Amino acid sequence: MSSKAFYVIAFLALMLAGPAGATVKVVATLEDLGWIAGLVGGPDIEVEVLCPGHRDPHVLPAKPSLARKMKKADLLIYNGLELEVGWLPLLLEAARNPAIGPGRAGELDCSLALAPEDILDVPTGEVDRSRGDIHPLGNPHYLLDPRNGAAVGFLIAERMGQIDPEAADRYLERAEQLALDLAQLQEMCETQVASLPSPKVIVYHQQWEYLTDWLGLEIIGVIENRPGISPSPRHVEELVEAGRLAGPVTVIAATWDHVDGAGRVAEKIGAPLVVLPASSGAIEGVESYPDLFEYICSALENAEEGS
Amino acid sequence: MPVPMRFLLVLVILLSGPVLSRAQSSTLTGTSRSMNPAISVNGLFRGEVSRDDPSPEVNGFRIDGVEAQFSSIVDPFWSADVLIGLHPGHGDQDTGADAGHGDGMVVDVEEAYIDGRELPAGMGLRLGKFALPFGKHAPLHMHQFLFADAPAAIYTYLGDHLLSDTGVMVTLDAPLPWYSDVQVYGVSGQAEPFDSLDNGLAFGARWMNMWDLTEDATLEVGGSFLQGPDARYPGENQDVNFFGADLTWKWISSARTGGPAALVTVETVLPDYQGGGGNPWGWYALGRYRFHRNWWVGLELGQADADFESIPEWGPGAGQGLEQQADLREYKINLTFAPSEFSFLRAGMVYYEDKLTGEDDLRLIAQANFTIGSHPAHSY
Repeated sequence: MSSKAFYVIAFLALMLAGPAGATVKVVATLEDLGWIAGLVGGPDIEVEVLCPGHRDPHVLPAKPSLARKMKKADLLIYNGLELEVGWLPLLLEAARNPAIGPGRAGELDCSLALAPEDILDVPTGEVDRSRGDIHPLGNPHYLLDPRNGAAVGFLIAERMGQIDPEAADRYLERAEQLALDLAQLQEMCETQVASLPSPKVIVYHQQWEYLTDWLGLEIIGVIENRPGISPSPRHVEELVEAGRLAGPVTVIAATWDHVDGAGRVAEKIGAPLVVLPASSGAIEGVESYPDLFEYICSALENAEEGS
Repeated sequence: MPVPMRFLLVLVILLSGPVLSRAQSSTLTGTSRSMNPAISVNGLFRGEVSRDDPSPEVNGFRIDGVEAQFSSIVDPFWSADVLIGLHPGHGDQDTGADAGHGDGMVVDVEEAYIDGRELPAGMGLRLGKFALPFGKHAPLHMHQFLFADAPAAIYTYLGDHLLSDTGVMVTLDAPLPWYSDVQVYGVSGQAEPFDSLDNGLAFGARWMNMWDLTEDATLEVGGSFLQGPDARYPGENQDVNFFGADLTWKWISSARTGGPAALVTVETVLPDYQGGGGNPWGWYALGRYRFHRNWWVGLELGQADADFESIPEWGPGAGQGLEQQADLREYKINLTFAPSEFSFLRAGMVYYEDKLTGEDDLRLIAQANFTIGSHPAHSY
């Protein structure tokens, strides 16, 4: 073999080589999904998260370093309902990992844990972008209801069991324990929020519908009335007027929203502004999925008391 | 019927597919459209006025480009993308019409390729006509430009937009601690800098590396090489080599949606014309900053020092008004308003100066862009 041919073959072998691994390698798009997967998978898996909890998952920059995390994954867990449509397809293409491609066992759309009738805000009538950057398949923020988180836990356990049948029973046991823990948390939150003097809220972005639906709160207005589009001054004016007429109301924004804009609306109405984490990892002290609900319910309770 | 009208008619028919698909889901007749590709159309228009060039090719309103894209998975083994563009012609190169006029529009298959989906070891394989990954700017479609026109260093040597050609490309991951990949390709040698009369192929490679400096900031460093038959010497079997290097720093604040963001790119192109000589080269540096949710400001400086020993037949800036040796400097500033991901309005000022001839030109350019349909997200 000529030395030139040897170097070419050695170069190709080096390029095609990859690190070895043992446990099931899971990549979750969202921090909450990563936490649930980590709990269900326990020591049988390794989890990496693409979108940190403090980032808006609608607009995550599709950095190649994220695709690198997906290259050796056995299972890709994602939210679905097109929440990640702006960046996950790019990362999937860059990862060039057929094991997690569409239709493979390594691809898991967690929105399948919800029955179709449980998906909120499915647009009716003509669906086009005059309504902003809407999600045609429905509101994708279903993880803000812990009952959906429990359902997702079972779905993940089932799929992990298919990929790693030896540990299938362990995955299921952990998912059952997660469901029990979340049910307890759910009761605690419902009790906390039931004592609020007013159920009315104004939200910045349409991402709190599952939370308010679960807790019996009533959304009377949305500041960013067309998703992804800056609200017009006229809309804000009308919303402030509606807020003033509605009586006690709380304004809710996520940590990554335009909090200043939400604050101005709250100030004009004379309502408290509550800036909430919309994911675990969004703020310090909210490290887990249960932490998220504990924080949200306490913040709502305190805001109402403060008002 | 003129070509552009036929093109638009085809677009209308294709875009009616998704509407029909809601009403017709039966496969009894075999006409189900549930497997239709994702379809999108992008339109880019401009109005331009020059202080120093009174020609109608420059002054007035015109279409910069209309592009239709079709994307789908073919079967378990391939995915496919097809991009058909309608752009002003390049002088007599394509149609014999003047560049820039409405009647001089040409329809072109800008890209049409398949990508392997089942390849081992993270390897990528692309077959067909595709954008050649030479540097940062040459592979871009016009609606992806951050300024109205490509930098002089790019259009002088590599064409005014989208350096694409037909062939095969392999992508491999480099086993390094950071993100690094190598793209190697062989193509037919029909792209703008190449001699279409020559049967010789063109070859190229790009090595791209990226590091996360922080969670919000990345640094990309790339090196490119491209070799093919020189278009300046048609039929004379002369090759040209292009060497390129680029560096991009990008920062997108994670603090809030639509918050501040910035980008700086520096790129250089060094042609080596085996039949010519001289020391041509070019570079540009551009920066962009998002100072409000929907507003960006941009600044670009550049130079194309077309230092040839002979006046080339295919010359620097073909179709751009340059006809001889030049040392072109450019200074650009613009302001972009992007109310959503799917449209933008842009206004800018460009000052060109030729250090050899002393000629200069000041232009004001306004652009409007829209995207309809299911358009794939652009890469990072």
